[in-house]
Amino acid sequence: MLSFIIRRTLYAIPVLLGIVVVVFILIRAIPGDPCTSLLGERATPEACERFNEANGLNDPVIVQLGIYMKNVFTFNLGESIKTSQPVTDLLVERLPTTTELAMSALFIAIVAGVPLGILAARKHNTGVDAATMAFANVGVSMPVFWLGLMLAYLFAIVLKDTPFSLPPSGRLTAGVFSTPYYEVWGWNLQEGTFWASLNEYISNHIIFNSFITAQWSVWWDAVRHLILPAIALATIPLAIIARITRSSLLEVMNKDYIRTARAKGGSETRVVTHHALRNAMLPVITIIGLQLGLLLGGAVLTETVFRLAGIGTALYDAITGRDYAVVQGFTVIVAAIYVIVNLLVDLSYGYLDPRIRVK
Amino acid sequence: MKRTTTWLALLFAFAMVVAACSGSDSTTDETTATTTTTAPAESTTTTTAAPNPDFVGKVLDAGGCDYGGSVEKISAIDEFTVEFDLCAPNPAFLAQIAFGVFGIQPEEHLVATGGAPLENPVGTGPYMLKEWIRGDSVVYERNDNYYGQKAAQQTAVLKWATESASRLLELQSGNADGMTFPSPEDYATIEGDPNLVLIDKPEPNVFYMGFTNTFTPWDDVRIREAVALGIDRQRIVDTFYPPGSETASHFTPCSVTNGCQGDSWYDFDVDAAKALLAEAGYPDGFATKIYYRDVTRGYLPTPGNVAADIQAQLKENLNIDAEVVVMESGEFIQASSAGELDGIHLLGWTGDYPHVTNFLDYHFGEGNTQFGNSYPEIYEPLKTASQTASADEAAPLYEQANNAIKELVPMVPVAHGGSAFVAAGNVQGAYAPPWGSVMLNLWDNGGDTMVFVQGAEPISLYCADETDGESIRGCAQVVEALYSYTQTGDVQPQLATECVPNDDLSLWTCSLRQGVLFHDGSTFDANDVVVSYTAGLDAASPLHVGNSGVFEYYSYLWGSLINAPASDG
Repeated sequence: MLSFIIRRTLYAIPVLLGIVVVVFILIRAIPGDPCTSLLGERATPEACERFNEANGLNDPVIVQLGIYMKNVFTFNLGESIKTSQPVTDLLVERLPTTTELAMSALFIAIVAGVPLGILAARKHNTGVDAATMAFANVGVSMPVFWLGLMLAYLFAIVLKDTPFSLPPSGRLTAGVFSTPYYEVWGWNLQEGTFWASLNEYISNHIIFNSFITAQWSVWWDAVRHLILPAIALATIPLAIIARITRSSLLEVMNKDYIRTARAKGGSETRVVTHHALRNAMLPVITIIGLQLGLLLGGAVLTETVFRLAGIGTALYDAITGRDYAVVQGFTVIVAAIYVIVNLLVDLSYGYLDPRIRVK
Repeated sequence: MKRTTTWLALLFAFAMVVAACSGSDSTTDETTATTTTTAPAESTTTTTAAPNPDFVGKVLDAGGCDYGGSVEKISAIDEFTVEFDLCAPNPAFLAQIAFGVFGIQPEEHLVATGGAPLENPVGTGPYMLKEWIRGDSVVYERNDNYYGQKAAQQTAVLKWATESASRLLELQSGNADGMTFPSPEDYATIEGDPNLVLIDKPEPNVFYMGFTNTFTPWDDVRIREAVALGIDRQRIVDTFYPPGSETASHFTPCSVTNGCQGDSWYDFDVDAAKALLAEAGYPDGFATKIYYRDVTRGYLPTPGNVAADIQAQLKENLNIDAEVVVMESGEFIQASSAGELDGIHLLGWTGDYPHVTNFLDYHFGEGNTQFGNSYPEIYEPLKTASQTASADEAAPLYEQANNAIKELVPMVPVAHGGSAFVAAGNVQGAYAPPWGSVMLNLWDNGGDTMVFVQGAEPISLYCADETDGESIRGCAQVVEALYSYTQTGDVQPQLATECVPNDDLSLWTCSLRQGVLFHDGSTFDANDVVVSYTAGLDAASPLHVGNSGVFEYYSYLWGSLINAPASDG
């Protein structure tokens, strides 16, 4: 097992390096430049010259790449050209929001998608099956930004002043703050240290932070703000999970051992839950893993519509603002997340199917 | 359960890796900041005797005017008097110093932050910064010691959403009290909503069609005039602009003093246009290009539609075949500024401060290459006017310049685009200023918290080194300048009680408001003014750090930075 993890980790290194190089070159190939983006359209050539010099953008691209790679190997992802913030600080601020959003969306997708898939499989070729799959098709086809706007319109405006009203944007209501657990518990953290950054990162998971510190009004406010974006983001993975669960379960239900299980007199529910489902879950787990990676890196539209300060909006802003360091840093992190999630998915196979042995 | 635990452990390990990256960077940053802070600010300022023996006034001295800028010296004469010694008469001085980027912060704070108070500005304004939740909102707390009109709300929150629809949703759902720039398509919805109020914002802007006279056939004034006559500008304004917009009679909006001196622009006259084309040797038209960028601005709300309409009008009215070329914004600005576009370029301008020089001199001054070779018939009267003390005395010169613009047609002014803000119906005192930033202390929703939504997040809250309106609006609530703009666009004393010029407007003496406290409790005095200007204007000052370090507006509005690096010159 350990050698497998080490091998996969080593395989990931050239992948991540390749991504760094490709992103580094591509972002510079996009028309436009950081100077005009930051200093505005009235920036003089002289001002841009000073700006480029100060940010090392006058160096040959290969030199810039070399410097960047050297920094990456020391865990220094550089500074935002736009805000002068270290990219890693931005990650500490933004990643928790995306993580909470993605996990919430995935939770909804699994909790709704798997039962829907099972239902469709068990009611194969019936109206229930057709309706479920029609729902799944609609879910896959529906543009997230449109659904997001519709949800926001429905719950924030149509249902305004009713108990079902939900906020259309942001992470917390204006004026509501989540006090970090280390402040609540009176920890004295030295600013700028690893320990402080780690705690700040963890406490930026607002739902988690407010839960463990019993800030219940904050917790409920954070949950309410996450409901609509999580539903919007969950739609596509939910539909995909439902479809994969259905097809996978249908395939398994035709296997000989299922017939044997039925012949032994087990109820249909027991046959499905104890014999079929576990074997049918392998492709579903694969899909869930891939979806988690996509959700973490691809929540751009949802975060934009619901104005959530996650890595999606940060990446979008960075691309439009030609903020090279942020684009590069965030892409590497998203790619790393993808690699890690895939590794975890592979590891999970061994638990689900004892026949699969990782060596 | 065991599986879940394993997953959680792995996720936690990943979180630690991310946090580790952060930790290493934060440490580096801190070290850098400390090093910068130790450098004294005095290296570029000198002291001078002042009447008050306890007060040592500072001076920013450019050592002359050879560096190319317009500021020779800024001196703290005494505790509450500052003198601006300029290289040339400047009738726009008050309008310029009222611009939000010239906000005053305490000397000690600028030193303590190493010249980069990017996230923690300290000012004298009606609100104090409470917290900037990056990516989400900026939260302000009322300054109870404010000398002016105290904020009605204890808390003000500045939020942002790129899309107008998202901003409007915030208002409609009751989560915000005001917003900037609704999309023109939403005007009817807003006006039909009893809970919302649409506030016209007189925008000092102009949209124009530019020609570069170094390319054929645009080197022939008859061709340029033919296009000026052959485009129905009123149709463009009626079709594509929101209410409050107007067809341009001059390049400068008439709300700016002396902006509309001289004759009004040509009326739409296809026959005259065709006759001019024929006279110039193009009776059957010619082929050209229309360059634009797909960027929405107040002066050009729907760039693609306007470009297509101009293309259609050129064909219908003048038989000119124009290919529409969309360019990336930065490239377009660069190429148009350098006079490299061989067709018609669609561009515009939004004024920075309420003075006609900000419109005319910037575009038609000597050496500007945007329209090709600059026209002495235009820039010579402009130059004289810009050094004329009295607006009345300058009026004939602006009349001369505007008439020359009409005669030589370096561009066709099309429209002054209108825009608006939106406020919740229960807000008292809501307004949308033509110049400067809306001040939230003047809005009152009757509650404890005021929420205002704008189009983007501030880049930093040290606006000496920012250029975008969103940052400047964020700063304005906290940091004040010597003068400010009124709700109607005039200038008024703010941290100064008055600034008095000498006869030729080259020396301005500003008396400062006494007894004003900064948010950190320190007392505002003349040295804070000198040091704040030094940080922005003197490139050799250790406080000249900022965000990008370019201090674009200091360089642009004061001619040049003092001690600018060699590449600047």
